[in-house]
Amino acid sequence: MSFSGSDIQAELAFAAQSAQGEEPPGEQPGIGPYRLAWRRLRRNRVAMVFGVIFILLVILCLLAPIYSQDVAHIGPNTGNLTGQIKVGGKLEYVLSLQGIPIGPTWDIHHYFLGADTNGRDVAVRLLYGGRSSLYIGVVAMLITMVLGTMLGIIAGYFRGWIDAVISRVNDLVWSYPAVLLGITLGTVLNVRGLWIFHSTTLLTTALVVGFVYIPYVVRPIRAQVLTLREREFVDAARQQGLGNIRIMFGEILPNVASTIIIFVPLMLANAILLEAALSFLGAGVQAPNSSWGTMIGAGLQVFPGAFHTVLAPGVMLVLAVMSVNIFGDGLRDALDPRSKAAI
Amino acid sequence: MEEDATVRNHLKRSTWSVLLAVVGVAAIAAAIAANAAAKAKARAAASTITLLSGPGPQSLDPGLDYTTQGSEINWEVYTGLTTYKHANGMASTELQPGLATALPKISANGKTYTVTLRKGLKYSNGAPVKASDFLYTVERSLSIPWGGSATFMTPYVVGAQAYATHKAKTISGIQANNRTGKIVIHLTQAYGPFANVLAFPAFGLVDPKTAPKPFKVQASNPPAGAGPYMVTNISIGKSFNIVPNPNWHGLPGIPKATVPFTEQINANVNANALSVLKNSNQVFDWADTIPPADLAAAKATGHYKLVNLGGSVYYFFLNASRPPFNNELARQAVVAGLNQSGFSRLGSGTLAPGCFFLPPGIPGHGTGPCPIAKNPATGDLALAKKLLKQSGQANTPITVYGEERSPRLQWEQAYVQELQQIGFKHVQLKEVADANYFTTIGESKKVNPQTGFADWNEDFPNPIDFYGVLLNGKAIQATNNENFGQTNDPYLNKQIAKLGVVPTTKLNTVAGQWRALERYVAKHAYAAVFGYQSFPFFTSKNVTVKFTNDIYGWDLLGIQAH
Amino acid sequence: MARFVTRRLLTMLLMLFAISVVTFVLFIVALPGGNPAAMIAGRLANQAEIHLISVRYGFDKPIYIQYVNTMANIFDGSAFSYQQGFNVLSQLGGDAPATLSLAIGAGILWLLSSIALGTLAAIRSGKYTDRVLTVLSMVGVSLPPFLLGSVLIQYVGYKASLIPLGGYVSITHPLQWLWHMLAPWFTLSVLFIGFYSRVLRGSILDAMGEDYVRTARAKGLSERKVLVKHVLRMSLLPIISLWGLDIAQVIGGGAILTETVFDLHGIGWQAAQSIGNFDTVTLLTIVMITALSVVVIGALIDILYAVLDPRIRLT
Repeated sequence: MSFSGSDIQAELAFAAQSAQGEEPPGEQPGIGPYRLAWRRLRRNRVAMVFGVIFILLVILCLLAPIYSQDVAHIGPNTGNLTGQIKVGGKLEYVLSLQGIPIGPTWDIHHYFLGADTNGRDVAVRLLYGGRSSLYIGVVAMLITMVLGTMLGIIAGYFRGWIDAVISRVNDLVWSYPAVLLGITLGTVLNVRGLWIFHSTTLLTTALVVGFVYIPYVVRPIRAQVLTLREREFVDAARQQGLGNIRIMFGEILPNVASTIIIFVPLMLANAILLEAALSFLGAGVQAPNSSWGTMIGAGLQVFPGAFHTVLAPGVMLVLAVMSVNIFGDGLRDALDPRSKAAI
Repeated sequence: MEEDATVRNHLKRSTWSVLLAVVGVAAIAAAIAANAAAKAKARAAASTITLLSGPGPQSLDPGLDYTTQGSEINWEVYTGLTTYKHANGMASTELQPGLATALPKISANGKTYTVTLRKGLKYSNGAPVKASDFLYTVERSLSIPWGGSATFMTPYVVGAQAYATHKAKTISGIQANNRTGKIVIHLTQAYGPFANVLAFPAFGLVDPKTAPKPFKVQASNPPAGAGPYMVTNISIGKSFNIVPNPNWHGLPGIPKATVPFTEQINANVNANALSVLKNSNQVFDWADTIPPADLAAAKATGHYKLVNLGGSVYYFFLNASRPPFNNELARQAVVAGLNQSGFSRLGSGTLAPGCFFLPPGIPGHGTGPCPIAKNPATGDLALAKKLLKQSGQANTPITVYGEERSPRLQWEQAYVQELQQIGFKHVQLKEVADANYFTTIGESKKVNPQTGFADWNEDFPNPIDFYGVLLNGKAIQATNNENFGQTNDPYLNKQIAKLGVVPTTKLNTVAGQWRALERYVAKHAYAAVFGYQSFPFFTSKNVTVKFTNDIYGWDLLGIQAH
Repeated sequence: MARFVTRRLLTMLLMLFAISVVTFVLFIVALPGGNPAAMIAGRLANQAEIHLISVRYGFDKPIYIQYVNTMANIFDGSAFSYQQGFNVLSQLGGDAPATLSLAIGAGILWLLSSIALGTLAAIRSGKYTDRVLTVLSMVGVSLPPFLLGSVLIQYVGYKASLIPLGGYVSITHPLQWLWHMLAPWFTLSVLFIGFYSRVLRGSILDAMGEDYVRTARAKGLSERKVLVKHVLRMSLLPIISLWGLDIAQVIGGGAILTETVFDLHGIGWQAAQSIGNFDTVTLLTIVMITALSVVVIGALIDILYAVLDPRIRLT
């Protein structure tokens, strides 16, 4: 293998190239690697369906202000403690005298999915909450992946004291269980704030979540690189006089690409889940902002009398995480030709 | 590829068999266990009453604990020189002699209290009770220190301040004679509720041998006390047993205990309510809120009662020392806008509306029409908007401080919305961890919060318990401040000083003056009261509650199994 | 090997030091005024009391001295919680049974299930079984324990009376113990089974395409031997590695959500309590224990890697 180059396109080309020989018959020769992967992905209907579902979820959540202003005419934090609304011609309290919120009215214009404990529109909050959850998930995932991959490759490649330092710092974060570290950091940052990360911004939670998961990426990548760097092609590259950076990101990175690709959706999903857990425990998104986690936490107070308060954000959360995971799985199958060998 | 087939078949068999085995074993085990468990539960239920509490006591050591969860147990474990009657309703807030032969004799100037210890009393470990143990107990509670020391004891007892700050070896104002049993307490100034202070579990006598010096918190082995009950088997934060004290043979008004209890601390309040509903545990702690979803089912059992305990007021403090609430019109606008029936819904329907600072169970509670909004249950939004406009404070940014736990968080969010509705342009909520909340907003210099959630539960049925701490200009301090609104009104301060010296038993002579003060505070909108809390008393079918206590909640002597 | 172990031990000590400093400073920073005495003294305390507590617990001293004293107390076993007054080590000793029950039971459940399901999915890759298992594992990894746990308690526990509503029963009552642990084991495992079986499926598929597997096949080894000796041996590496560290974390209090939802009064529950109470001493101790178990298991895994994959050099 005499491949070199460090951009992502080249990695994909490499992955596809090495796969050429094992492609099932019927595959047309001479098609670009991107196209090939895309073709494989397109054939995976389940993955495509869930990919579309996730995109729809994202679009839906981005449309939150439009739904809030033009359809439901109620803000995400506007409560209605003692008001009444017309449901099927009858006037009903938004909150019962004991504080049980009204269930779904299935009327797109008001309380489509019912009210929450403060008499706020669950559908509107669900979309705004989704924006928070997805935003935090994506930002946290980027933090995790970029830092995790770099540190993992550097540690595995250089070994010696660099590896020792990275691995020990890594272990330091590892040895705090993710949720425990998340709550600790979340609680502390929410009490005092730090620089731009004061308690009212979602960035605080994103930072906490992203930071917590870095070792989850560093460890497997480092372990893989430890093995890879002993391989012939690295020796060959070294003999060709390639620099360390070239070897790390040109030769080794493409070889850990399958791991990275597995991890991107996995980390996105985990980030969304951890955000939900932190918010559920009160160490994440702070009121009156909503996220799916805070909504579930608040909903459990009136569960099961008003199970929609848990079910709506619960379904959205599980659906979002699940579609990321399933699409990610399909993406992996499409991009990683070696996994085809077993079929 | 062809050759995979054999592997697949082989693995298919082995993996499925492993799976089946795992599932099978689990299922069988579950079935056996469920059966056995049901039987074991039935056996356990017959003997002991289980009380479920969300948060547990801070400590079972009376020298430290100042929580309702601790007091509801300890007031019957550590009987003081005075104690409360074992009866229902308001009668349960009346004092009766505890370990003393009679209620304290108070000198004409209100500064000397004299009591005599009963003879032949024993602690739960069998050791005799001595008069000097009272001095020892007070010293211990001030040293640890007990949460209420600085408010109820150190400022009033001669020499207590010197002792607490290590300037004296003992408290010079307390004299005890072990031979005669006579105990004399000298106060620095007349303090109306002092006879009630003597009833605090923190001043219930402890056996010095079980609480050796140097004093420290004995969380898992609290000292021996004298009372109908004793606490055993403490597993901190998890469970403990409250069993009849074998050395308590009953006193007039304080009978022997017969029913053993065990308390389990489970933070999952919903699960607690459900298990009482299922009759697998017996008592749901009153200080926890029954989740609204379980309320209907709880009420249907017939073993549910909403009790308006003597006094618990919920309010938003309004800081009169800085904008916008140094402006009286802005304060009145907030009070006018409160929609209290809405707040009640957020608290499972347990809040009663009102505009006066004292809750209804406290003598002197304000009566008559509310001075600002005529009907506090609905509020008056139009009036609120008008008042705020007049004040010219609409553009002042406001940070609302609040706790994180439910339903307080819900109240705070509703409050933020109300402030926005009446016209404040910039309002934001600042949540603070529950454990940290009151000390954070108590930083009257560094944090100096504008407004936020606050509450107070009565320590004894005397208005001074509320006014003396929460609205008294003299009580403002830099940290651990409780006068969150920094209310410092000369007339109010003067009246508090004057009325505070009246003994609890003679409160009826000044009730009119307290009511006038209530109207004064309401009119100046020194606090935005949004309701008085009543509490759910809920048990399983196999338990009867004969009486509860309006100060401490449960009276274990009043709970019987059948 | 001896050098490797010694180095590991030394770095471990350094790490424990670093982790304790970080935790300590985090909580000092978080408290109002930077002085925990105000909080410990309670709502109604006066300045004199706060000052006395400050002096008694040494909060008036410089932070590094406070740190040294706290750590000394933790290591000689005399550390106690300022907030609740218990001895931290004996309290955690009381928490251990619940956590160990959860960790060991759930650990075995999720390891065995995910090896079985992951292998099955890999060899049936692309087929119906694989699809179903994939979707199931996706549902598993997407279910937050607090949601699953609450739903289980409400419907399976309360409505159907099939499981208890939470709580831990000592193993001295084995059947009761088992009955109370079933739902927590399940809830905790679901998350891991989904994750592990996916990772295992992926690495088996990867390994099947590797040169050494092809070589083994070419040498005429039976498929079973190829799978067990070559494919599984390599593919299980990441699983065992993950498993060891996850178990260590659960033992060290990582199953906060499961323990909280089911009211298992274990180390994770205690950790959540101490964070909520700003109980620095208890949290520090828990973090030390977790760190220790994670580091020890991490080192064992490194050795295991070296044994299984001779290409790695331990230096």
